Amino acid sequence: MKKLSFLLVLMCALLVLAACGGSESDGSAEANSAEASDGKVELTYWYAWGDKIGENNENLVKQFNESQDKIHVTAEFQGTYDELHAKTQAAFAAGNAPEVTQNEIASIGVFAKSGMTQDLTSFVENDEEINMDDFNPGLMGNSYVDDKLYGLPYLRSTPIMYMNTTLAEEAGLDLKGPSTWEEFEEYAAAFTDGNGRVGMSLPIDIWFYEAFIAQAGGSTMNEDGTEVAFNSKEGAEAFDLFRNMSNEGTMKVSAGTEAGEKARQDFVNGHAGMHFSSTADLSYLLQLAEEKGFELQTYFMPSGKETKVPTGGANLVMTSGLDEEKQQAAWEFIKFMTATEQTAYASEFTGYLPSRLSAAESEKMQALYEEKPQFKVAVDQLENGVARPMAENYPEVVKIMIDEMTRGILDESIPTEEVLDTAAEKANAVLK
Amino acid sequence: MAFAKVQLDMEEKKAERQGFLSWVKLRPYAMIFPAIFIFCLFFIYPIGYMIYLSFHDWNFVSPVKDFVGTSNFSYLLSDRDFREVISNSFIYTFFTVFLTISLSLLLALWLNRGGTVYSFMQASIFSPHIISLVSVSMLWMWIMDADYGLLNWFLNLIGMESVMWLTSPEYALTSLILVAVWKGIGFNTLVFIAGLQSIPKDLYEAAELDHTPPWRRFLKITVPMLSPTLFFLTIIGVINSFQVFETINLMTAGGPINSTNTFVYYIYQYGFQFFKIGYASAAGVILLVILSVLTVVYFKVLSKRVHYR
Repeated sequence: MKKLSFLLVLMCALLVLAACGGSESDGSAEANSAEASDGKVELTYWYAWGDKIGENNENLVKQFNESQDKIHVTAEFQGTYDELHAKTQAAFAAGNAPEVTQNEIASIGVFAKSGMTQDLTSFVENDEEINMDDFNPGLMGNSYVDDKLYGLPYLRSTPIMYMNTTLAEEAGLDLKGPSTWEEFEEYAAAFTDGNGRVGMSLPIDIWFYEAFIAQAGGSTMNEDGTEVAFNSKEGAEAFDLFRNMSNEGTMKVSAGTEAGEKARQDFVNGHAGMHFSSTADLSYLLQLAEEKGFELQTYFMPSGKETKVPTGGANLVMTSGLDEEKQQAAWEFIKFMTATEQTAYASEFTGYLPSRLSAAESEKMQALYEEKPQFKVAVDQLENGVARPMAENYPEVVKIMIDEMTRGILDESIPTEEVLDTAAEKANAVLK
Repeated sequence: MAFAKVQLDMEEKKAERQGFLSWVKLRPYAMIFPAIFIFCLFFIYPIGYMIYLSFHDWNFVSPVKDFVGTSNFSYLLSDRDFREVISNSFIYTFFTVFLTISLSLLLALWLNRGGTVYSFMQASIFSPHIISLVSVSMLWMWIMDADYGLLNWFLNLIGMESVMWLTSPEYALTSLILVAVWKGIGFNTLVFIAGLQSIPKDLYEAAELDHTPPWRRFLKITVPMLSPTLFFLTIIGVINSFQVFETINLMTAGGPINSTNTFVYYIYQYGFQFFKIGYASAAGVILLVILSVLTVVYFKVLSKRVHYR
């Protein structure tokens, strides 16, 4: 009998432990009171990324809180985009989502379609102050879902190419940088010294692959977002570009959670001559280059058949289900954060694109471009910007693509077509 | 006493008059109600809800939960990734538990004696247990870094090739097992030492009088007397290992190519990254079933061999 009851207790404990896995949610404590004691409307704002980008968010929120006395915003750091999304979703389900948060632009669709974010169309229509035409048209592709506005461009980026020009000079390379895939391969080969230094250290990452596919003249997904399109001739060319370089040893391709950080370390430590990364890293990399004592230049991503780059970064969104007062407050906050002055501030502080045309033309930015021409590359490159896929199941598709590409990189014997076809088959099953 | 008895008798008579809804009959239930209520609210309800969700297609937010029957389960079972998840979980659990238990038993036998050196060793071996898993993961990611890590530096020093500890599908799971064993050994050793110290000394003295060789003493006295401890540690180890999450989330994110994806991480991925809570719940139900079956089998098979005093 005693044993039996012990067994029962154990079974129950077991059930509980297993249940924790299924219903794990993030109990983020936050003030839910609509109004604080001093009568201000309290808002919570969640953002991704630390370092310079985090400081920028905190500074802008501070500016907002000081600029008026009706609304008080609390900014909270939530990790990477993936972590931010997961936490927002969990908090939404638990009924204490932040009023304003960021959506990485490929996730705008998921959040909007599942009803977590607020349709902002009517706010724009009823607001005479905001001039939507001032937002860079190249960045608006990921703001609309089913023709309704769900997010305003905030910290937006494109990938750009960074080059260690000190090393390039040593290697006898032209400092104008590679402009085509062929030249890019030549540069990479010239940087490779067989002694640990390679042309580039690259994480297996969907964003760069999207860039290569677009440059090859293809696309990652079909226009309706119902099927993948990377299992094409263009997709194969794009994959082969870095697969071949990896096999030749001119590019170090790494997998894993730390691959991005590692690529950056390799570049900063002079173990790689070139680096693909978001323009958002510009300020930070310039600072690191100065500490390490090398010169840094920025370039367009090399072109294939076409000169194209995906855009990236985050849009500001409002979560749904807020009362009128909070909606207005959240809208005021979003408007402030994306206004010309703040856009210019953020762009200078981090290297993110000035998402407003007026910000790019402002004296502040023009002076900066004069002083540090590295900042201008991403802005110029934006002419070639394409939107990212926004299908509802895209995060899962990305996981499949990364897995299969990793398999292809690690095992040279699998034909490229097979890698892509396997990925496409799995991805299409998910999209159905 | 007599007074109480009289009162009880009276109450019982009243109870008979009022039928079966009397206080006397309800009292035991009322007494345990708080405990049962909390148990149901936090244990039974979530499990029931998980099972309910596993038959639905839901994204956590939309007001509509589409009933999809058993299609979540049939999709799961036909998913190659999920089969990998199951086998990864079993491999991880088996080796983690086996290595942790056997190494800590050896350590416990060695360290089970007085003296400053031994108590210092006991404390040192226990220290990983009190470090949070997040810090442990960060520490080991640094140690296991393929290019700049301490472990590869050491391997190179003794003339061996670098190993891609966390970034190759062949080694990643092994590396995670290594970390789990390193982390788990301290606690297990401590419990074993406590178990060893509770074995009556006279048993060993009697054995010594009979000139029983040490290994026979180990097998015939130590192991049987330790069996409740062994049993406890194994079952806790199995359950914990099946639910490993933090190290996987931080160190490998289930990769490369799914090679370290285990149950709870898979559930997290589908629930919170792909927004498919029904599908994640179905995986949760399967985990529940596997753990229940394992536990019952374990009790049935092994409890007979456990020596309770």
